[in-house]
Amino acid sequence: MTHPRPVLSAPPAARILPRNQQRLANGMRATFVHAGAVPMASVRLVLRTGSADVPAGETWLERFVHDYLGEGTEVRDAAAFADAMAGLGGQLSVDADEHTTVLRTDVLAEHAPEAIALLAEVARQPRFPESEADRLRNDIRRGLDLALAQPQYVTFAAFRAALYGDHPYGRVIPDATMFERFDTARAREFWVGETGAQRALLLVGGVFDEVAAIGAWRAAFEDWTTGPAPVEHRPTPAQGRTIRLLDRPGAEQSTVYLGRSVPDPTQPDFVPLEVTNLLVGGSFHSRITMNIREAKGYTYSPHSVLSSRPHDTFWAEIADVTTDVTGAAIGEVFAEVERIRTEAPPADELAGIQNYASGNFVIRQATPGGILDHLEFLDLHGLDERYSASYVERVRAVTPTDVQRIAQQYLGTESMILAVAGDRASIEAQLAPYGTPSA
Amino acid sequence: MTTGERAFGLSLPVQRHTLANGLRVVLSADHAAPIICVAVYYRVGMRVEPRGRTGFAHLFEHLMFQGSESMAKMEIARLVQENGGNLNGSTRYDFTNYFESMPAHTLDLALWMEADRMRGPVITQAELDNQRDVVKNEIRVNVLNRPYGSFPWIEMQAAAFTNWHNSHNGYGDMADLDAASLEDVQSFFRDYYSPANAVLVVVGDIEEQQAIDLARKYFEDIPAAPPPVPADVREPRQEIEKRVSYVDALANKPALAVSYHVPERGSREYYALGLLDQVLLQGEDSLLHQEIVSRRGYAGGVDGGINFLGHMHNAQTPLLWTSELIHDRDVSPDTILEAFDAVIERVRSEPLPQATLDRALVKARASLYESINDTSYPGFGRADLLASFELLEDDAAQVNTIEQRFGAVTADLIMETAREFLRSTNRTILMVEPGAAE
Repeated sequence: MTHPRPVLSAPPAARILPRNQQRLANGMRATFVHAGAVPMASVRLVLRTGSADVPAGETWLERFVHDYLGEGTEVRDAAAFADAMAGLGGQLSVDADEHTTVLRTDVLAEHAPEAIALLAEVARQPRFPESEADRLRNDIRRGLDLALAQPQYVTFAAFRAALYGDHPYGRVIPDATMFERFDTARAREFWVGETGAQRALLLVGGVFDEVAAIGAWRAAFEDWTTGPAPVEHRPTPAQGRTIRLLDRPGAEQSTVYLGRSVPDPTQPDFVPLEVTNLLVGGSFHSRITMNIREAKGYTYSPHSVLSSRPHDTFWAEIADVTTDVTGAAIGEVFAEVERIRTEAPPADELAGIQNYASGNFVIRQATPGGILDHLEFLDLHGLDERYSASYVERVRAVTPTDVQRIAQQYLGTESMILAVAGDRASIEAQLAPYGTPSA
Repeated sequence: MTTGERAFGLSLPVQRHTLANGLRVVLSADHAAPIICVAVYYRVGMRVEPRGRTGFAHLFEHLMFQGSESMAKMEIARLVQENGGNLNGSTRYDFTNYFESMPAHTLDLALWMEADRMRGPVITQAELDNQRDVVKNEIRVNVLNRPYGSFPWIEMQAAAFTNWHNSHNGYGDMADLDAASLEDVQSFFRDYYSPANAVLVVVGDIEEQQAIDLARKYFEDIPAAPPPVPADVREPRQEIEKRVSYVDALANKPALAVSYHVPERGSREYYALGLLDQVLLQGEDSLLHQEIVSRRGYAGGVDGGINFLGHMHNAQTPLLWTSELIHDRDVSPDTILEAFDAVIERVRSEPLPQATLDRALVKARASLYESINDTSYPGFGRADLLASFELLEDDAAQVNTIEQRFGAVTADLIMETAREFLRSTNRTILMVEPGAAE
């Protein structure tokens, strides 16, 4: 027998876990959040420097420097450092984007204070041994060759170059000759010049002893120099249709990036834009995915994203589509975006998406990793706990006409940039309805 | 481990029930956050799909989102989303899983949905054709249009295993996918998707009594059927080293992988190998990283582990312990193997220092906890461990013995295990020749 579908009660109000925010005299900040029950602590040293701080002609310098950070500290060499980290149950990873470099590790709960001290050692006293420079340069050359073979990476780079031009955000792929200038002195100069207490935020989440963690943070950082203030790099994104076509002869699929500049997280329209994105392409049951995957079978993993930097965000739909339906898939994506622009979505469809957005906000706060990601987002955009506290309410306030207005105002397909990597001979004619590819 | 540390920290609450139709139910409450994860594991995976239908277990997984008695195509995805959750499914060697992380107040609905699809997919030819196209695009994006797309898992399985169940490509041949019919869907469902061949796991912010009451309400009247006869997936002892190479047209650098057959799941030697994996391969302190990456500079990293599709706790043996790397053209595979062998010989010829063994235990523990702390699908890591132990060792509560099992491993046992299992005659060496220009 089948059972009638259960009717659920309304969801309880979202719970925001308390954040203990602290500041040192030198400008360094820290936030501590207890979350979850697994006896692990996530420790992240968030430094406000990234690829945008790299001068023209030195693309990937920050990667070289980050690899170099794994080569030990003034206190212990690389092997001893790796042993020390492993003894806590962790290992050093360095994640970075345009404006942020995060030294991070997850360790057994009881070892959070030692992990904080070890991350401080890397940030403040990196060893940069001369003996490893050749090997690290060779690693980065190999890394470039491997990246250039990945269709998703080269398409992403072409989209960025078309959107941001000569701005650092547009300089994704280096020329291998640039690496000749990467050496020990340059690595040290870059790291010392771009880091310091006022660019630093320590995040600790999970299960840990707060008194001990705060003590370790103070001891490790309170005598750090204030250092440089963060530098802004506001771009002027291109407006208007551009098509970039990268030839991959014989490719069975075309990798497609399609999108444009939109309001950033500090703008009042950002939350309605997030809701609009989830409805159009940013969720499994979104319109674009239901169309080009579930109805047409053109692709496996289509999704749209809002990708943000300070005072800058782009919206993009990303998909790997079968070669012979490349043009058709792009046409369907544009059609779905235009449909939102001409017709407000039904209230029940929007209500479902609003529940998804607010429910996912709760789910993201359920793990240490999710909470720390959110705290990084707030810090990057100069937002605070008021953003988190009012988020669900702002999601719920979005109306069908808001979504239509957002799409009309910001998602005009005529000014979307299109980057495609695929078999030129098969797809050039398919792209013709959308414009002419430029170099 | 230094004095004062808790030696055996993991202690998950585990409640086990078996319904009248044979469905096993595992509950594990965790009130740290107002979320739940509901997961259904069917004991059918890539290993047991029919011959001539490679890739079918995975295609079938896709079809379980295409509609059932009370839900239309993709309605399950919509229901999960509009109640604030995320869902997914995956096909592994021994099982196929379906799961959703949801706000806690949706437990009733989540159980209703999973019970509805346990009654069987209700799908049309058009829906089968559609998902066949989606799956083909999944194979293109992950394998055919991707450099190193079949490295090492598909190629290594084919080279290292002799039993078809283990060696065939679980993503499937395109021709086999083309041949899949609606009749295949019905017979596969009948053979493998019965309640007695499944485990339901509910974790998170639940009251156990309410959860088991709801599980009984929705699942207990699903008709019982005999579970399938388990496939014989055993492998013979390997006695001669194998070497295989192939050209990857999209790869622009050579790659190398070395795989050894591992001891039987659950044995003392299996946990010894788990610690050897930590000592040799996991993290920048590992012996292989130190030798091959830091000292010799042959690669930017050495990756690998015990299970291509997960970790050592969520698959049944036979499995392979694999080390893999991508290297430059001017360094030969034999040069790298020489360095590799020197490291392996060390652990075969002398007992590990106590400090190394202690560190391996800490790493194994942290890695276990990290697998529980799943950020994409909160609760899923915990559900996955519980379901794996219930399905593969007949008792979910055994998850609480994992740390003890690691703790019982001695330096002598590690050396014995290395001598028997890290023999060169127990391994397969796989080499990728780059077919693309640099």
